[in-house]
Amino acid sequence: MSEQGGEVLRIEGLRKAFGATEVLKGIDLSVAKGEAVVLLGASGSGKSTLLRCVNFLEIPSAGRVVIDGTAVGRERDGAVLYREAELIPIRAHVGMVFQHFNLFPHMTARENVMEGPRTVLRLPRAECRERAGRYLAKVGLADKMDAYPSHLSGGQQQRVAIARALAMEPRLMLFDEATSALDPELVGEVLQTMKDLSDEGMTMLIVTHELGFAYAVADKVLFLHDGRIHEEGPPDELLVRPREARTREFLRGHASFRLPEAEF
Amino acid sequence: MDHVWDFTSVIASRKLLLIGLLHTVELGVLCLVLGLTAGAFVGAARYSRNRWVNWPASAFVEVFRNTPALVQIIWFYFAFPILVPIDIDPFLAATLGLSLNTTAFAAEIYRGGIQSLGRGQWEAARALGMTYGQQLTRIILPQAVKRMVPAFMNRAVELMKMTSLASVIAYGELMHQAKTISTYNFNPIETYTVVALIFFALIYPLALAMQQVERRLRRSE
Repeated sequence: MSEQGGEVLRIEGLRKAFGATEVLKGIDLSVAKGEAVVLLGASGSGKSTLLRCVNFLEIPSAGRVVIDGTAVGRERDGAVLYREAELIPIRAHVGMVFQHFNLFPHMTARENVMEGPRTVLRLPRAECRERAGRYLAKVGLADKMDAYPSHLSGGQQQRVAIARALAMEPRLMLFDEATSALDPELVGEVLQTMKDLSDEGMTMLIVTHELGFAYAVADKVLFLHDGRIHEEGPPDELLVRPREARTREFLRGHASFRLPEAEF
Repeated sequence: MDHVWDFTSVIASRKLLLIGLLHTVELGVLCLVLGLTAGAFVGAARYSRNRWVNWPASAFVEVFRNTPALVQIIWFYFAFPILVPIDIDPFLAATLGLSLNTTAFAAEIYRGGIQSLGRGQWEAARALGMTYGQQLTRIILPQAVKRMVPAFMNRAVELMKMTSLASVIAYGELMHQAKTISTYNFNPIETYTVVALIFFALIYPLALAMQQVERRLRRSE
């Protein structure tokens, strides 16, 4: 599908507990450059937590996250220590798109997209403006640059959010149920934007319930269950001939997914 | 009711009233500035995860919010000098009482304003790679301050009214000057009528401005 390069992300033995509740119980996975990897799973299976451990919005309880060959954090006495100063450049190179967009409502679309390059990368204003224009055009919103988020549709807001993440020119993009909060008629435009990105070779780790999208775009699909990767494989195997009973059960729950009519 | 209204003695004392007005404004503005500034720190301290920082801040806020400002002013004038070996004049006692009172309320306004923003705004900023300071100054405060403005203006109105409490420790603001004038001229009815009008003229524009600001903020939501 996409040309494969080196490994952008590797996760080893990742665990995450909130108090006494262990949400992730040892996750291993790897994402190669240009790959699109889709995480499936019922709600509460730990998909979002896993994604949030990759850019350290959540600090893993155990295990390592390796980005571009560099293990994040310092190991001492069996535990891994993370310093905020170390995590900031990691976050700057890993883009994230949220379920609820989380655009900055006091800024126009253009200002939203400029904010990261300007404040975090400290690029000259002119270059930030140019980037904002380029990435907003890329997501099809060249005509909405000066609109405030409250004047945009959900689909448009999410595309601005994608442009905001892209403007940092990230090594890896994380999508956390990017279409779950959208009205059904607006889902398509966001999925199309994501598919275009993948086609251009962006490395992506995607949590979604859109199985048709997973089938068309993913290089690899992982099914999470009870804090572990229960099954993984290429989409035309895992989605069509799942080996595990749990996976079959999950897929049956998504009755709307019918391969022949899949949108992509 | 055979009172004959006669304002001549009040008008003759206008200089005293003018001095009182200046002192009222001086005390009010100073306490507002001090209270809003210190309130930001106390509000931030209440946020701290460190118990040794947030507990004293919370205790401070609760004490000053749940005792009368009048008691606070009198306490700083009479009791505080016993604890701390410094001379306290009425102005300093009034400033301490009213600015700390304002600090406590302002701290809660800051805290409430910041908490009214969802976690998503912090996370979006953090995910871009912003430091905590950048998240606060670029993303959180610009939005939160907008929501705080009406509450701060309300505080300013309350504070201007509370300055009159400083008269009990003989600080020469409007109310105290009125007491002096009325004692010399036996004209409390006229004097306090004029003082009420002066206070109204001072505070009503603030209240009007507040309504304007609130209307404009509501429109921009």
